[in-house]
Amino acid sequence: MSEREAAIGDARDDHLDEMTGLLYLEGQLEPARARGVSQHTEGCRACRTLLRALEHESRLLTRAMVEEDESLPARLLAVPGREVRSMQWIWVAAFGLAATGVYALYTNYIQPWQQQLDQAGFGGTSLLSLLVFQGAFWKGWQSMISLFEMLALLTLAGGGVMYLRRRLRRTSAVAVIFAGLLAAIAFPAPAGAGEIRHDQSFVLGKNEVIHNDLYVTCGRGRVEGTVDGDLIVFGEGLDMSGHVTGDLIVFVRTLRITGRVDGSIRAFSNTMTLSGRIGRNLTSFSEVMNLDSNSEIGGGATFFTAAAALDGKIGRDILGFFHDGSLTGSVGGNARLKGTQLNIGSSAEMRGKTHFTGRHPASVSPQAKLSSPLEYEVLREKPEYRTGKYFIWKVIWTAATVLFGLVLFQLMPQFARDTVSSAERFGASLGLGVLVLVGVFFGAIIACITVVGIPLGIATIVVWLAALYSAQIAVGGVLGRWILGTTRETWGLIGRMALGLLLVRVAYLIPHVGGWIKLGVILWGMGAISLAVYRRFQTLVPAAPAVPVAAPTT
Amino acid sequence: MDAQKPGRMSALGKAEPAEAISRARAGDAEAWGQLYQEYAPAIFRFCRRALPTREDAEDATIEIFLKIRDKLRQYDSSRSFTAWLYKVAANHCWDMLRRRRVRQDKETDDVDSLPLEHPDPDQLERLIEARSSQEVRRGLDKMGSRARMALVLRYYSEMSYDEIADALGVRRAFVGVVLLRARHELRQTLGQSSAMAAGGTP
Repeated sequence: MSEREAAIGDARDDHLDEMTGLLYLEGQLEPARARGVSQHTEGCRACRTLLRALEHESRLLTRAMVEEDESLPARLLAVPGREVRSMQWIWVAAFGLAATGVYALYTNYIQPWQQQLDQAGFGGTSLLSLLVFQGAFWKGWQSMISLFEMLALLTLAGGGVMYLRRRLRRTSAVAVIFAGLLAAIAFPAPAGAGEIRHDQSFVLGKNEVIHNDLYVTCGRGRVEGTVDGDLIVFGEGLDMSGHVTGDLIVFVRTLRITGRVDGSIRAFSNTMTLSGRIGRNLTSFSEVMNLDSNSEIGGGATFFTAAAALDGKIGRDILGFFHDGSLTGSVGGNARLKGTQLNIGSSAEMRGKTHFTGRHPASVSPQAKLSSPLEYEVLREKPEYRTGKYFIWKVIWTAATVLFGLVLFQLMPQFARDTVSSAERFGASLGLGVLVLVGVFFGAIIACITVVGIPLGIATIVVWLAALYSAQIAVGGVLGRWILGTTRETWGLIGRMALGLLLVRVAYLIPHVGGWIKLGVILWGMGAISLAVYRRFQTLVPAAPAVPVAAPTT
Repeated sequence: MDAQKPGRMSALGKAEPAEAISRARAGDAEAWGQLYQEYAPAIFRFCRRALPTREDAEDATIEIFLKIRDKLRQYDSSRSFTAWLYKVAANHCWDMLRRRRVRQDKETDDVDSLPLEHPDPDQLERLIEARSSQEVRRGLDKMGSRARMALVLRYYSEMSYDEIADALGVRRAFVGVVLLRARHELRQTLGQSSAMAAGGTP
């Protein structure tokens, strides 16, 4: 008995206080004290009545609570199988996605490719360009944008319902979310958020001026007027002969710029031709990139292309990766180039250093003006593969990953346990991993250009990248658990994770298979992490008691 | 007083379904279904008593069973399954309430100030005898979360003082105080209801 209980019991010698009476009835008094109470109540009617009343109250409470005044709700009649159902939708979605992808791949890529091969032999465009720029992913941009926009909104809405239903009645939460969703769809975007145009054949006339950022999704687009802001275009083709005061961001098959862009250009295209002026920098991911002699770039240029022809003026440094490169223009800064072959023509003028890494030495015209001799480095496929240095770095990176995992496990031990447990559901994790790896990334990219907002998109990509890296830790954790058995100790978990991670990293080194193992680990781990997050949202509870409890004693 | 043992959840006179528990632990879906059918009504009722709304109770019941299913392998079969189930349920419900910040911490702050009283036993007995189960349930709905939870843990789940202390995060020595305070609050609530009913009677 505690001091307080003793004090309570001794407070009145004449009659029992209520606290003592309750503790006596509940069997919580020490035997000596209980005997004293018992002796006292034998001769005290008032205290007997008090005990009787308290006991009666206990029985009344129990009866009131045990009585079935409400039947089991219909939704509880079925055995909860939400996990199973959730796995089912993941599988359905994964297979649906895969089936759609295969169908789209065949109808939009393989079939036309076969026809092209039949008609034109093997001299067609590359597999990548066909797939990305002429295939399924391209023709459906408009519908894909709408789809992803809707998916992003629905995801947000779903998250909102999950969040709010803890705070509001379910119906109210759903009503609030759907009202918000409706408002988001129905109301026009505010002026500050940019102007959005959907048109199969978009034209911004010569005298037209848009005093805002302009988002365009179109088939063919022509911009002859002025955009006083950024211009973002998704479409099949864009011909820009007007003036953009901000940046130009384009995802098109054919891009031709003869106008002026005061900011920078970020281009993702099949063919890009630049004849105009760029105030700042150029970043290009294109199959063919052609900067003709009239082109002028105020800043630097970064490009990843199959064929690059640089005939214009580039004010500052360039960084380029290409298959075939031709440099006949001028470069104001240093040039760092990597490719199969490079030709520097007679009209080329390089004011900074020129460094080329390639399979073949660059062909440099004697008339070309180079501020310093060209630095050439032979491109080796895997120059450091399986050398001592290579392994040392592998060990260092593995140790760094283990350290990262250690920090994660220490910071979020419960979540780490949940993730490792989720990873044991191999199939579900893998299926979900496919969805998350592809869906979340594209969703985030699309979110960046829709009403959902750039901050959300960027934050999602950051989390996605973190999950990408953490995937191997989750897989390491479950492999370690399979080898050494289950533990609830955090350090035990960390030890298992380290062992599993070591095995994973060793498996990465296996020639030919290592890459596939890496992909599998990423899918598996990302799925496990996503599953753990999903469950966290689903349950919103901390861990169940680690040690089963004993039956109550009275 | 006779010791109260947990076991109310299963049908009266029935022992815990050890075989079903064992099979469910091994991943037998049918056994899991059997366990659910047997225990779901009691857990729902527990949640209904402990949480403010029916919808909360429904959600919590499903979530508790999903959690139980995940953690079933951690269950020590030498102990009472019912007690373990209640423990998980209690933790879950209390955590839900905590997350909503409806815990009334003042109740622990002023437990020391609980007056040591010897109420008029006859008056107390009359007050209690006049109450019906339905009135008590209505009164419970109006009580603070901690007080209600304490009564539910003790008089529905039949948890020991140690378990209640653990579930509510209070010192064991204060469990009796918390329970007594809860009873006082309930009596007060019932008294107010009676007064309102009497005042409303023409």
